[in-house]
Amino acid sequence: MSETLVAPATTAPRDADTAFDELYRSSRDDVYAYAAGLLRDRAAAEDVTATAFERAYRKRSRFDPSRGNRRAWLFGIARNAALDELRRRSRQAKLVSDPIDATSLDAERSERRLVLVDALGRLDGSERELIALKFFAGLANAEIAAVLKISESNAGTKLHRVVAKLREVCDGAL
Amino acid sequence: MERSSEYEDVAVALAEVRPVPRADFASELDELVAAGFPRPSRFGGPRLATIAARLRAPSPRRLLLTTSSTALAAIAIATVIVASNESASGPVALDRRPHQTHFSEPNPTTSSGSVPSSGAAVQGASAGVERSGESSDSAVQDTFSEPPDSNAIYGLSFLGRAGHRDIERSAEIGLRADRADVADDSAKVFSAVHNARGIVLHSTTTAGRNAAAHFDLLIPSVRLGDALAAFSAIDEVRSRYEATDDITAPTVALGEQVQDSRARIDGLLSQLAAAETESERTAIEAQLQGERHQAAQLRSRLTRLHQRVDFSRVSLRIETGGSSTEPGGTWGIGDAWGDAGHILGIAAGVTIVGLALLGPLALICLLAWLGRRAWLQRARDRALA
Repeated sequence: MSETLVAPATTAPRDADTAFDELYRSSRDDVYAYAAGLLRDRAAAEDVTATAFERAYRKRSRFDPSRGNRRAWLFGIARNAALDELRRRSRQAKLVSDPIDATSLDAERSERRLVLVDALGRLDGSERELIALKFFAGLANAEIAAVLKISESNAGTKLHRVVAKLREVCDGAL
Repeated sequence: MERSSEYEDVAVALAEVRPVPRADFASELDELVAAGFPRPSRFGGPRLATIAARLRAPSPRRLLLTTSSTALAAIAIATVIVASNESASGPVALDRRPHQTHFSEPNPTTSSGSVPSSGAAVQGASAGVERSGESSDSAVQDTFSEPPDSNAIYGLSFLGRAGHRDIERSAEIGLRADRADVADDSAKVFSAVHNARGIVLHSTTTAGRNAAAHFDLLIPSVRLGDALAAFSAIDEVRSRYEATDDITAPTVALGEQVQDSRARIDGLLSQLAAAETESERTAIEAQLQGERHQAAQLRSRLTRLHQRVDFSRVSLRIETGGSSTEPGGTWGIGDAWGDAGHILGIAAGVTIVGLALLGPLALICLLAWLGRRAWLQRARDRALA
């Protein structure tokens, strides 16, 4: 069955299109890494990444620079999409997990990575989200604060606790 | 990328397990972005689909523009509808006072009268009040539909009107005319009065800048409806007012007094015929003269009452103030100001009514939206926990 594909309205300002393109190029892998780190599911992370960029594209003309930078705005959208995915999963009581591959390097590094992946799995959702935002997506503390709608100092404190917990879990495993 | 030194070891370790998107997925997403995330169209043609796509992704500016345009169009349409309805029904609908019916208080002397029929007449009056209250117009028609009574000549027509109501009717009508048309309209008024076999009691007609006319008329009550219709057809009706007043009770009371007076005159005439001395005759004649004088006064008052019933007083005014046209029939600046104010008034009224209707609705929608947003946020937080 053939279907007509229609490009959306192109009435957004040209600079908004340009800015979106730049944002996409600089953030595609980061958004995916964040979603995959939070959801621990590659397929779900791909869906969330595509959804996040589509929503951002539709709302690109509504971006308000006074409320934060574009990356924080994008990750706010991605976070909502990821949490919606988590809600959908909880409703369906189904977890199709596609664990991160940790067998591609040498044995010692591979073991260390397995321990780290296992430690990440022991963190709760909000802790894992902080790690994903900080170390997978590479956000600054101010951007994390904007995404989570908390203060920057609070974001730093939470991050410190989560890293300490992660270290503790890893040390215990090794 | 902000990395504090205390997290350096963790950052290095996590960098090794950082998820990387598949090449297939990355290229697929690149294509989607390049194409602007096209959606399958549910509409037949590309033009409709483009419009639908525009509607699906409205920017705040476009949304505001669309909403404002829709609201303005709605106000304009409602204003036109209201204004056209108003002009169709004319100012009468706004200015016309309700039809009023007045009932005179029964004369206290009526109940003490010696004529046996007076009690029945008062009862009839009570019944008549209810009937007139239901349909005063039909009561008026009933009153005047019968042929004139010969007793009316002697002021005793109330005897033949037992069970009927004596209703006095009056009317006021205001016409709005162009200044140039006042003279013609006045001539039409005279013609209409003549056709109704009415009487012009008083009339004034002013020409020039403050052209106007005023007529005090007596119109046979049976032809009042036709006459008012004829007056209304002369020019634009600005106001119209009709009233009825039930004067059955004073009419009946006065009729009884006339009858008593006649009885006294008859008695005096009998005494005069039987008088034997000159002085006696002189005294009776003096009483007879006084009684006849009083009887004449009573008959005169009764006749005036009957005239109030038989003829309705009509006050007719022809005015040019607030005219829709300037002298000579041209539409001028003053009329434009007046019309603009009128239209703006209607538009303001429509807007206020619209806001009164849409305000609560918008508030409910806003509260629902805020509630859904808060619920969604909590649900997302719970999902993360």
